[in-house]
Amino acid sequence: MNLSFFLFYISAAVAITTAIMAVTRKNASHALIYLVVTLLSIAVIFFLLGAPFAAALEIVIYAGAIVVLFLFVVMMLNLGRSSVARESQWLRPGMWVLPAILSGVLFIVFGYTVLQTENSAMIEGQVVPPKEVGTVLFHEYLLGVELAGVLLLAALVGAFHLGRRYLEERREN
Amino acid sequence: MKLATMFQAGLPYLVLTGGLLVVMIGVAIKRTHAVAAVLTIATLIATTLSHIVAYSALGDGAVQIDSMFKIDGIAYLFNILFLLAALVVAFLGSEFLNRRIRFKEEFYLLLLCATLGSLVLPAAVHFASLILGLEIVGISLYAMIAYPEKARPPLEAGLKYLVLSGVGSTALLFGMAMIYAGSGSMEFANSLPSDGSMEGQYFYLIGNAFFWSGIAFKLSLVPFHIWTPDVYHGAPSIVTGFLATVSKGAVFAVVFRYAIEGNVLDSGNVQFALSVIACISMVIGNLLALLQTNLKRLLAYSSIAHMGYLLIALLVVESNSALGYETVILYLVGYFLMTLAAFGVVSVLSMNQEQELETIDSIGGLLWRQPIAGAVLIVSAISLAGIPLTIGFFAKYYLFYAGIDGGMWTLIGALVVGSAIGIYYYLRIVFTAIKRPLDDAEAMTGLPWTGLGILVVLGLCILALGIYPTNLIDLIQNVVQASGF
Repeated sequence: MNLSFFLFYISAAVAITTAIMAVTRKNASHALIYLVVTLLSIAVIFFLLGAPFAAALEIVIYAGAIVVLFLFVVMMLNLGRSSVARESQWLRPGMWVLPAILSGVLFIVFGYTVLQTENSAMIEGQVVPPKEVGTVLFHEYLLGVELAGVLLLAALVGAFHLGRRYLEERREN
Repeated sequence: MKLATMFQAGLPYLVLTGGLLVVMIGVAIKRTHAVAAVLTIATLIATTLSHIVAYSALGDGAVQIDSMFKIDGIAYLFNILFLLAALVVAFLGSEFLNRRIRFKEEFYLLLLCATLGSLVLPAAVHFASLILGLEIVGISLYAMIAYPEKARPPLEAGLKYLVLSGVGSTALLFGMAMIYAGSGSMEFANSLPSDGSMEGQYFYLIGNAFFWSGIAFKLSLVPFHIWTPDVYHGAPSIVTGFLATVSKGAVFAVVFRYAIEGNVLDSGNVQFALSVIACISMVIGNLLALLQTNLKRLLAYSSIAHMGYLLIALLVVESNSALGYETVILYLVGYFLMTLAAFGVVSVLSMNQEQELETIDSIGGLLWRQPIAGAVLIVSAISLAGIPLTIGFFAKYYLFYAGIDGGMWTLIGALVVGSAIGIYYYLRIVFTAIKRPLDDAEAMTGLPWTGLGILVVLGLCILALGIYPTNLIDLIQNVVQASGF
């Protein structure tokens, strides 16, 4: 068993543990914090596979933008009298310990990988740098990128129309 | 491949995308329902006509665009079918929007997006273009299903479709990842495991298991059919018509491409699994339809059975791919006409009412209360049952022929049993519509003339192609041959 597989199994174990925790938590914001750690560990796995660009996107887009958006929505929905009490309950000391430990493990794996020379920590295959991703994306798969644009347009128009229902109902009340 | 040829072959896609942008900018400048409707219909017609120009670019074969698309005559046939169906939906939808909906214009944008997605699928030869096309259709449909602002059932149906279709897409993506892990290629043609190792075989089989589960979700085949009646029931009838025809037909088009390019049916396991799914879909879909008193739910279960029938055409591809293509295209033409006619009748009749027309009893004596709609509904039900002098008969005849050609006797048995059960509930629709109305049943007046006109055209097509299908069959055979099968 060589080292890179060991690193992979650590990250994979963290990913599975946190995913199970995320699904089983009753409190939405606790679940989301575990979800962030899941996404971080998937990013580390991408990194070990030699795809640093995908790893960076995973963190920037999923762990960064999307989950933060989720967190905002969850917190906005809970506006009300009991929200202060609930919020202090969310932030009670102790709940952050496990996610923090797991993130620490990931950080060690990640740091170790970065410090290695000659990609010895990588699992298999070849490193795909961002430049290569860009070349393929905007050359061979250009039409796919265009189609993804149409996909986002459809999602935007749909979300706009469905969101208007909510606004109309609020205006009437 | 020369760039000019690629542009010419891709012309329909460019026209449709251009039209989509024009409609969007038009809506952004000034919201006028009439202008949006006219622009949409013009775009759909222009796209349909552009196939004539584009067809000459194909020469005798296919035009490959990068690794993602392979455009050939068969793809164009599917495209034209989807575009005509979208045209029917646009016409009927404009009346529906006029009478029932406050914010109308977005519907056209979503319809054009969904149509573009469905045109991508018949030309897709790459898992990336497959998932992109499917998701464009799916995402547009979520919003179209939940389109009416006030009513609750459409919202519920939209949410159900969102969640379950999402699960289906997840299975599909996971399957693709597995197939990729085995073969190292996302192209259909290279999806078999490159080395003969056991490991590659396992990846391939697990990948295909997930892939076909996802596809079965999208096609609402048993045992992945649970969402179908609820979504068909809750959605506005005209959107249900689109969902039942174009989105299903497009999935079939791409699955055929995968089966032929990827030789996936060479694997006995995949073939066996698909045969089992086909058999239980035919039988269970028809059995469940027997119990329905709601017209839209009945049509939903009947569509499950029809998708099961169509799997026969897919399974024959392994031994005779030309026959498989002919069968699926002819069957889809018939299925599109009958399904759009049936849901079109429900949609037109419901336009003046707060609630959609639902129970079978509510169409009692329809032929006397509203002769045009009644006649079209009867023709469509007879055709769905597969009775001669309608396109439904020839479609089913071709299925039998394909089944016998492939020697699939169990499937033919299931087809016979399913069709026999089907006749019972289709004829129930016919008899309910024919029987003398109750005295207090009011005549249905004030229905839109454009809507009734479209229904008449659909009904006449069902009969005309059922009496004289030769030209259509010749056309399909020529195109399939020209595409190299």
